Parts: sequence; structure tokens; C-alpha cells
Amino acid sequence: MLIFTLRRFNLFVFTMLLLTILSFSLSFLFPGDQLVNLTGQVNASPEQLAILSDKYQQNTNIVSQYFSYLTHLFHGEMGYSMTSHLPIATEILNRLPATIELTSVALLVAMFVGIPMGFCAAIYHRKVPDNLILTFAMIGYSIPIFWLGILAILVFSIQLGWLPSAGQISLLFEIEYVTGLQLIDILLSDSEYKWQAFQDATRHLILPVIVVALAPATIFVRLARSAMLEVLDTHYIKAANAKGLTFSQIIYRHAMRNAIIKVIRDVGLQFANLITIAMVTEVIFSWPGIGRWLIESIYQRDYTAIQGGLIVLSSFIFIVHIVTDFVYAALNPLAREPQHGA
Amino acid sequence: MNLIDIRNLSIELTTGTKPIFAVDRVNLTMKEGEVRGLVGESGSGKSLLAQAIVGVLDDKWRVDADRFHWRGNDLMRLSPAERKAIISKDVAMIFQEPMACLDPTTTIGEQLEEAVDVEQLTGFFWQKRQQRKQAAINLLHKVGIKKHEVCVKSYPHQLTDALCQRVMIAMALARRPILLIADEPTAAMESTNQGQIFRLLASLNQLKNMSILLISHDLENVTHWTNTITVMYSGQFVEAGTTEQIFNQPYHPYTRALVDSSPKANRLIPNKSRLMTLPGSIPILQHLPIGCRLGPRCPRAQQKCVHAPKIKNFHGHQVSCHFPLKDSYS
Repeated sequence: MLIFTLRRFNLFVFTMLLLTILSFSLSFLFPGDQLVNLTGQVNASPEQLAILSDKYQQNTNIVSQYFSYLTHLFHGEMGYSMTSHLPIATEILNRLPATIELTSVALLVAMFVGIPMGFCAAIYHRKVPDNLILTFAMIGYSIPIFWLGILAILVFSIQLGWLPSAGQISLLFEIEYVTGLQLIDILLSDSEYKWQAFQDATRHLILPVIVVALAPATIFVRLARSAMLEVLDTHYIKAANAKGLTFSQIIYRHAMRNAIIKVIRDVGLQFANLITIAMVTEVIFSWPGIGRWLIESIYQRDYTAIQGGLIVLSSFIFIVHIVTDFVYAALNPLAREPQHGA
Repeated sequence: MNLIDIRNLSIELTTGTKPIFAVDRVNLTMKEGEVRGLVGESGSGKSLLAQAIVGVLDDKWRVDADRFHWRGNDLMRLSPAERKAIISKDVAMIFQEPMACLDPTTTIGEQLEEAVDVEQLTGFFWQKRQQRKQAAINLLHKVGIKKHEVCVKSYPHQLTDALCQRVMIAMALARRPILLIADEPTAAMESTNQGQIFRLLASLNQLKNMSILLISHDLENVTHWTNTITVMYSGQFVEAGTTEQIFNQPYHPYTRALVDSSPKANRLIPNKSRLMTLPGSIPILQHLPIGCRLGPRCPRAQQKCVHAPKIKNFHGHQVSCHFPLKDSYS
């Protein structure tokens, strides 16, 4: 298990190294002055630029320039936004929790809906439920997200008026910033309208979460279905059957665990996909998350913000990836063996 | 009374065009306490027959029989659920690859415990839990595993093949079966381990009067451990009789060839001479010959062989051949 952890950590370090190299090289590739791109100081005077150039070791070779960039990064200095002139780190810290909230809830919803549906389809293989679920999965996978988001707003917010169409919470409520995760902050706050605020925040969350979760859920349906079919075809299921276990015992005790292991492996991969969908959804639902901020920065040619957002989002995806790897290892005894530690 | 009595059991592979009889009208009878060998080449349908008896075949196979009696009960008249209840109570099966037949993500202990019959337990559920644990450990002792603490906690991939097979046998014993079907229990095992497994099965037969249906492709190996043998070829019944009858005086040309092809079994052949073999190889399922399926390879085949032969019974020695070798031994 120690080797497993070390290997994961090793992978993390090297991937981050590559990511920072990419982000550093972006400052050269973007139009404009490299130092300005890196720091975001658009209106700096020549004296200030000289100080900055000294700080980022612009006079030395490119390797020490890169290392001075890394040092700044480790201290949380990612420069200033070219448009808002606020530090990138503050901007990201303000927005990342909203994205974490949206994506993690969406991931959980996608898993808890998609995986059982896939299992159900596999158990009723080639029968009516299987066909229905596969049809749903096909349709859900094919619908474009931007269209689905707008349609959801049209139907549920404008025509039916059930759910709010934009934002994270109604402006009526004032929630103290503690963790940044809205739902947790509400529960931590001592406002007397706590529960109303919680309800309101949940209502705001429903539509974007459904839109984000739909496509990953359909992928989980198909992954879970094929994993379950594969497991149901194995010798140990046949042996369990011969042992005299009932069908539901076989499913709950043997088939489900083995099938979930196969699906968990791919959850980390799907998460990158889910983040992309979440970025588009944040724009549609005016969700104050990092995705919307990043897309706006691209429109406004805020090069410093693009670099910072890139690093933060990719490391977030990567951390989720590693966490799913650990969950996989916890569930699968084979993966904990040293020879399978890769 | 016969323990199991199967007459004309066919297993059909339902395909798009026409059904294929993978097992064609096979007979099998076993008495209580008998060790019967079921011998045939790979692909002769012996595993299919065993799985059909236990009832673990997929939907794509269709089983049909003129008679399928289990201790006097006609199983063909019962619904699949009732049949499964009777069979899983009294019949246990161990499979070819023990490692693949154990759930890789569950510990041996848990898998053993769930095999223990509820009826053997008494008291409240917390007492039952304890009893289940104890029963699992006793089962491990019964199959000769002494380090039960380690074994109960390990996962299948941490054990050797022979140990896994012992665990499989322990699991099969959990329901105290009357008939144990062992489908090539020692395939892919070293010979020392093979001996251990066979000795274990033999002692279970003697001590518990448990009947065993031992499936093997190796005629010579099973003769040490069996009382009676049934030979199959390409899904058809060939010959059945006591081990001595089959081994010393086979009536069917196929069994004759099988015995002659083994150097140890037939000590009369001189050194460095060629072993007897039949020309050709076992037919594939898509192109099965009509009548007696051995026909194209049989040295004694004649025109009559395009019709499937009726089973002839010579004092309990059954043979399915138009031209049995009975007269050649007088």
C-alpha cells in the first residue's frame, strides 16, 4: 500500500511539472510582453517593470526563470488579472468552491443514478428494462449540453416557474464566507433563516446539477452495464450459483462489488469530461464558478487568468483522479498487491 | 434405488439457423456411495452434462431428457426453482479452475460462511454468526487446511491453486451433499497436489458415503479412484461399466483406442513402438456426423453406422455400438 501511495504521489509530481512547464511556456506564446503576461501588470511603469523583471529573474537563463516562476507559484502568487486587477489567487479562491460544489454533487448524482441503472439493465439483459435504459442512455448522451441547459431554463424556470434559472443563491440571504462551499457555509452559519437559505441554495443547485450530470450518468450506465454483464459471465458467479445461493444473494454479495470496481476505475477519467460540461453549464446558469470565469477570461484575453485557471482546474481534476484510484484500491484487493501497483 | 438416473439427456445449443445437439441422448446412472468416472476428450460434452445436472447452464443451452430422476423424484416435472432447491441441497460441484471460481474481491472466510446451510444453525442471529464462523473453520480442517486463521482472512489470489481447490471442496461440503460432481478437479495442477486432492475425495467417499462423479479427460488417471466409468465421445454415450470392464475388456472401438493410446495402461506393447491412435480428430460442433459420431474415424465402421446405435447391455456393461468388440475377447 505504501508503494501504491508513493507511485500515485510520484505521478502527481511529474504531471504537475509538465503542467507548469506548459503554463510557463504559454506566457511566451501569448501575444504581448512575456513578463506582462506572466504577472498581469498591464499598466506598470518602467521602474515597476524593472523590479518585476528582477523578481522573476528575467536576466538569467530560461531554466532559472522557470524555477523562479515555480517559486512564485508555490507562494500562491499567480500574478494579477489583466481585467479586474485583482490577484489571480483571490479570484480563484473565490470561485473554485462553487465549481467544486457543482461538480462533486453532479458526479455523485451521476454515479448514484447511472451505476444502478446500468446494473439493472445488465440483470434484465435483452429484456424491456434493458432496452428502455439503453435508449435513455443513448438519448442522454447525444443531447448537446448548451441546448439542454437553455431548454431546462425555458421549461422549468420560465414556463413552469419551478426552479430559479441563474446564480447560486437568492440575493436575499447573506451567508458568511467560511469554506466557500455554499451548502456547508449555510449549515455553519447562525442566521435565523438558515433553513430557508439552504432550501433556496438547493433549488438553485438542481437544474445545473441535472444538466451537468446527464452525460456522465449515461456513460456510467453503459460502463456499469458492460461491467455487470462481464461479471455475470464469470466462473465465480456460476460457482456461486452451484453453491446454492439465490440470484439476489449472488448479485448483492458477489456481482455488485466486482462490477463496481470496474466502473470506479473509469470515474476519474470521466471527471475531466464532467468539468468541461460544468464550464459550459456555469456560463448558461450564471453560476459563479471558475469555469465561467475562465471562459470570460478567454473572451477578454486575460492571459494571466488563463494560465492560473488552467493550473488550478487541471490539478483539481488530477486530485479527483488520484482519490478515485485510492477508492479503487480500497475496493479491489488485487490492486493493493505490489506487483499491481502501477 | 439409484441416486441419479438420467435417460436420453440432450443438450441443445440454440443458434439462429438450426439447433446443434452438443450432448446427444446420453445415459447416466449412479448408485449411492459410488465413485463414477466420466471420461471423454475435451469437447465431448462431459462438462456440459455436469453443468446440466447442477442446472447452471446459460440461457443459450436447452436441456431435455426422457428421464431425469434424483432419488426417485422426477426432476423434469418440477419447475426450475423447485429443481434448483432440490439439487442445490444435495448436489455440489467443484470446477476446473478453482482460482477463477472464487470471487476475487471477497475473503475465503466470507465465501465459505455464506455456503453454510442455514438449517445447520440454531439460536439468534448473533449466535448464528459465531456458528457460521466455526462451521467455516471446521470445513477447512475437514479438507486438510490447518492454518485456518490465515486462510480465512486471505483473498483467492493469495492462495495456491491446490489450496483454492481445497477451499472449493470445503465449500462443496458445506451443504453436506450426497453427490459431489468434480469437473476435472486437478487440471493444471502438479502431480503431488493431484494425488492429495484425489486422496481427499476418496476419503470423503469412504467416510461419508458421498457419491462422486469424477470428470476427466485422462482415462488412466481416474481408474485408480473410480468404481465405474462412463465414456463419452463428441456428446454421445459410448460405453459404461465397472472400471475393470472398461479397462480390461472395452467393447467399444473408441474405448479400445483410448485404452491402447495410453502407454502405462497397456503394458503389453513393446518399447519404442508406435501407440495406437484413431485417424482424424474430434468433429467440431458445426459439422457433426450423423448416426454414430465416431463413424468417420472408427476402424470397424460400416454402412449401418449412419444410424445411431441402440445401447446394448451385457450384464451391466453397456455399450452403444453396432459392432461391439465383445466376441474378440473370448
